[in-house]
Amino acid sequence: MEYAIELKEISKSFGPVAANKNINLSLAKGEILALLGENGSGKTTLMNMLSGIYMPDSGSIFIDGKKVEINSPEDSGKLGIGMVHQHFKLVERFTALENIRIGMRGEGRFFHGAEVRKKIEETAAKFGFDIDLDKKVSNMAVSEKQTLEILKVLCYGARIIILDEPTAVLTVQEIEKLFNVLRKMKEEGHSIIIITHKLNEVMAISDRVAVLRHGDYIGTVVTKETDEKTLTELMVGRKITLNIDRPIIEKTHPLLEIRDLTIKNDEGATAIDHINFYIRGGEILGVAGIAGSGQKELCEAIAGLRKIEEGQMIHEGESIVGMSPKKILEHGVSMSFIPEDRLGMGLAPSLSITDNMILKNYNESKGLFVDRKSAREEAQKVIDKLEIITPSTETPVRRLSGGNVQKVLLGREIKSGPNVLITAYPVRGLDINSSYTIYNILNEEKKKGVGILFVGEDLDVMLSLCDKIMVICHGRLQGVVNSDHTTKEEIGLMMTGTLNIVNKDGKTDGIAKDSAFTDEEGKA
Amino acid sequence: MLDVLTLFLFNIIVYNIPLLYGTTGEIMIEKSGSLNLGVEGTMAIGAVAGYLVGARCDNLFIACVVSFIASGLVGLLFSFLTVTLQANQNVTGLTITTFGVAFYYFVGNALSNSPEGWPKLSGTRLDAQSQAIHIPGLSDIPFIGKAFFSHGILVYAGILIAILMWLYFKKTVPGLKLRAIGENPAAADSLGVNVALYKYAHIIVGSGIMGLGGLYMGLNMGGTFEGSNCWINGYGWISIALVIFANWSPAKAILGTFLFGFFNTLRVQNAALAYAFPNALGWLTKIPSHFFSALPFIITLIVLITSSLTAKGKSGEPQAIGRNYYREDR
Amino acid sequence: MRRYHLVRRADAKLNRTLIYYAIGLLVSLTIGAILLWALGINPFQYYGKMLTIGLVGNKYGYKSIEGLLKVFVPLLITSLALSLSFKMRFWNIGGEGEFLIGAICASIVAFNSSGMPNFVTVVLMCLAAMISSGIIGVAIAALKVKFNTNETLMTLMLNYIMLYVIRYIGDTKADWNFFLREDSERPIFGSFPESAMMGGIPLGKFKLLWAVIIAVLLTAIVYIYLKYTKHGYEISVVGDSAATAKYAGMGVGKIVLRTMFISSALIGLAAALAVSSAGTISDTITNDVGWTGIIVAWLSKLSVPAVFVTAILISILQYGCQAAATQYPAIDVNFADLLQGIILFSVLVADFAANFRLIKKEDAKNA
Repeated sequence: MEYAIELKEISKSFGPVAANKNINLSLAKGEILALLGENGSGKTTLMNMLSGIYMPDSGSIFIDGKKVEINSPEDSGKLGIGMVHQHFKLVERFTALENIRIGMRGEGRFFHGAEVRKKIEETAAKFGFDIDLDKKVSNMAVSEKQTLEILKVLCYGARIIILDEPTAVLTVQEIEKLFNVLRKMKEEGHSIIIITHKLNEVMAISDRVAVLRHGDYIGTVVTKETDEKTLTELMVGRKITLNIDRPIIEKTHPLLEIRDLTIKNDEGATAIDHINFYIRGGEILGVAGIAGSGQKELCEAIAGLRKIEEGQMIHEGESIVGMSPKKILEHGVSMSFIPEDRLGMGLAPSLSITDNMILKNYNESKGLFVDRKSAREEAQKVIDKLEIITPSTETPVRRLSGGNVQKVLLGREIKSGPNVLITAYPVRGLDINSSYTIYNILNEEKKKGVGILFVGEDLDVMLSLCDKIMVICHGRLQGVVNSDHTTKEEIGLMMTGTLNIVNKDGKTDGIAKDSAFTDEEGKA
Repeated sequence: MLDVLTLFLFNIIVYNIPLLYGTTGEIMIEKSGSLNLGVEGTMAIGAVAGYLVGARCDNLFIACVVSFIASGLVGLLFSFLTVTLQANQNVTGLTITTFGVAFYYFVGNALSNSPEGWPKLSGTRLDAQSQAIHIPGLSDIPFIGKAFFSHGILVYAGILIAILMWLYFKKTVPGLKLRAIGENPAAADSLGVNVALYKYAHIIVGSGIMGLGGLYMGLNMGGTFEGSNCWINGYGWISIALVIFANWSPAKAILGTFLFGFFNTLRVQNAALAYAFPNALGWLTKIPSHFFSALPFIITLIVLITSSLTAKGKSGEPQAIGRNYYREDR
Repeated sequence: MRRYHLVRRADAKLNRTLIYYAIGLLVSLTIGAILLWALGINPFQYYGKMLTIGLVGNKYGYKSIEGLLKVFVPLLITSLALSLSFKMRFWNIGGEGEFLIGAICASIVAFNSSGMPNFVTVVLMCLAAMISSGIIGVAIAALKVKFNTNETLMTLMLNYIMLYVIRYIGDTKADWNFFLREDSERPIFGSFPESAMMGGIPLGKFKLLWAVIIAVLLTAIVYIYLKYTKHGYEISVVGDSAATAKYAGMGVGKIVLRTMFISSALIGLAAALAVSSAGTISDTITNDVGWTGIIVAWLSKLSVPAVFVTAILISILQYGCQAAATQYPAIDVNFADLLQGIILFSVLVADFAANFRLIKKEDAKNA
């Protein structure tokens, strides 16, 4: 069998974190390979090495049987690899034709030739693309932009196409159109890697499926010889019992209730689609879902940083829709979100720990001056309690190592004494000890009667720590389960959209029996 | 009477070709995503370098070449500082302006106080008379010929450069790539465009073009060195304003500069016109000249504000202008 | 160059930065020396004269100090004002225009103030200048906040419009024009009445103008404002990361407007002090302080103590060249600008060297 791509023993680490460990992967010529893995499994890093953005620490890459080194996006392009990213790289003001033209090599070096247009039109026709070459990108819908990106790489002569979550922004019909295109490309001899989480799509379009988990390569199966359940098991693995405390305490009435919430993301697609859930005091509700299922938008909406399209949010009986972030904070809802780059939201990188600590309550001191003295004391308290490693309280936050940055963030949120704490990826990239420190802090808050929404990546952790877990897939609620009464596989199936138990057994998940909504207000 | 009108039209061209050079040069630089506030200084250096070498060699062509190279070097400095060293564009540009104008004074003073003195132009091949080219047929048309077709080569070159630049941006591939850099350097970079190289090249060429405008001013409007007033006299700043007014299009720049040229010449010749046509244009002398001088800036300010109030899409402003691009920041 | 790779340094040691800056400064002075030598002037003599601002062997030495301070005060205040604005990444290059507006409004008060007590007049002048400049600053900031209009280009236009306004006032003899001398046929700016003149504390022959004391106090106030007050904290957060500020519930737009008002008002204040100290207004009253202030603010990396020191040094440079120009006619006062430019270029290179490192590509792979 001839292979278009062979990856042998590829490893890549970023500091202490091993993103890819000895990966062995192959893509046969003329096949469609699905790449499956949870967030943090290492698939994006792996693909970035193929597209020349990163270079492997060790291991070799073979294209068409020849060993190669890919040092830049240009090298990758020359080898015939074309990547269609999730975030488009288009010049908004230019037309489709102009965007493609920028990266084309050869023909019509100086003046725009008619041959270029013809070649693009031919390519488009060959694959059945319906695209208006003179349309400005700023006027295009999301699916049109994606079509343009695919056409672009084809025009650059790519024989190997990598698509990163292409169906995330498409409707059902558009997905079918895309799949027809992929099949045509396969017919023409192209080899395709498609990164996706939707198992039904994997079953529909791929020839083989490769699975990554926590940086390791698990294996490749032939699609015809497997099913969704098996794939889910491969993806999430067996449950590991962790030693995380889960104190059982008496829960209160729902502190935060969400009904019918619908939110759009920055690109205009629906991020959260009519979901219902609630959080009781003294309870940790986990949120499980593939990255990009709408978690970020959900957190932002509750914190008042993002407008919602529809729906209701009630905290302590009062609606918080439309409230400013400041007011929501005063109301008692606190949010800490650790983005991938860790310094994006919530912290001012050049300012000291002290200055970041008072970000939300600096105004409370009387008079004109900021009370840095007590701020420093608070900062020191947090540093001691959370064992943050730092030269001093005045160290600029951006000099701290990743884990410590997260501790500062969480420490600050807890400090303001909220009764609803939303924390997203609080242990992202942390070592075991630091992670456990965080779990203990959360449990202590829980014992105080705080309701906690825990958006996480590690299912084992969530099954140990959280009382209940709600699962979202592409913005939709797939079910809310009790940690003691569920399995990792069940959650995995819900995460990939295969299983939906919201309305199982006559009850509706996400709606509390003692809800503050009356029947008219809170339509299920 | 007709003479006054002819002279008026003639002067519109003379006064405004430098603006055309400055504006088109700056358009080329801004399209690459850099806001270059150093136009005034660049033009001053191009002017003084070209003038001095040209006067010594008594050769207009050499004057142009030296001028282009000198201001091109200033452009190289700007590129090095902002593209490679990632320095703040505003500060760098302003320093180049202060530096350039100071350099002009430095050289001027040094020469004026030296035994040989400041080289004069009259009688050389560089003075206004000698520059004028006689185009058989066109120059002889009575009224229009004298007004529009008796200029020096730099005038026609300036218009030609503007037209060529317009073609370059509209019809060529490198022009497209440059525009992409000005709009979204990350996208251009990911498509294999060498962002740094393109920026360097276009900043240098754009600066060279500006320099020629400065040279023209020195040859036609200066001639002597005055310790108190730089030749360029604010034309660099007006050029920056005109880029906006012309919506970053070299073709519109031709129109724009002549519109402002019209007002500029009006300012200078209003007395003569009012005298020649007392009934029709007598009121011209009542308008303060300062108003005409301020007009380019007032109009541009209005254009700036209104274009940001209305639909974004119509503005030609390159989206990424003013920001430095560094790949690792992705 | 393909084998080498530019990488941002992880740590920014202050000592290293200062050393590189010092080297840059030395290099600049050397280049300046070469230029002087090319004109047959002994650089050491010239620099000596310049750096001692003509004090040596001068009976009227106190006049030199007064002259220096008249350059220093507006520069210091304007640089402080511009650092406030730059801290929020608001590229206000309209220092010249705002200065002129303040100067004109202060002069309006001044020319109509005969008979009023001196203290009241000067205070009113300052208020008039601060409010008028402040309003313009806020208007521009509002356009930026609401419509994202390019503030650099707007303020640039403002500079030139205001320049022609003051030239118009200075060139137009008319009944309404109380700015001009009455006894002259040609339009010349008149002098302020006694009531509008800046007073001071006499120290022997030398008069320490109140303006100087105000400027120094202002430096301390701005320092405290930025470092210890809530407003200062807000400015630092907004300047560091507007997204974080928004997340913290800060009204970013409000903060920008407020800070821009203060920044422009300070420039107006500088203008009022300048005209009062000079006793008149002219179209060169700015002394290019709007441009120089930007350089000073940038060289000082927006830090108040550094601004103070840099403003002193640049003032010495400028005034020194003025003083030296009397003895060396071949070098005009613009030599200061030339040196300033070279110094800034060297500092930009030094700054870069302090923040970036060149490493071999193989090492990058293993980093």
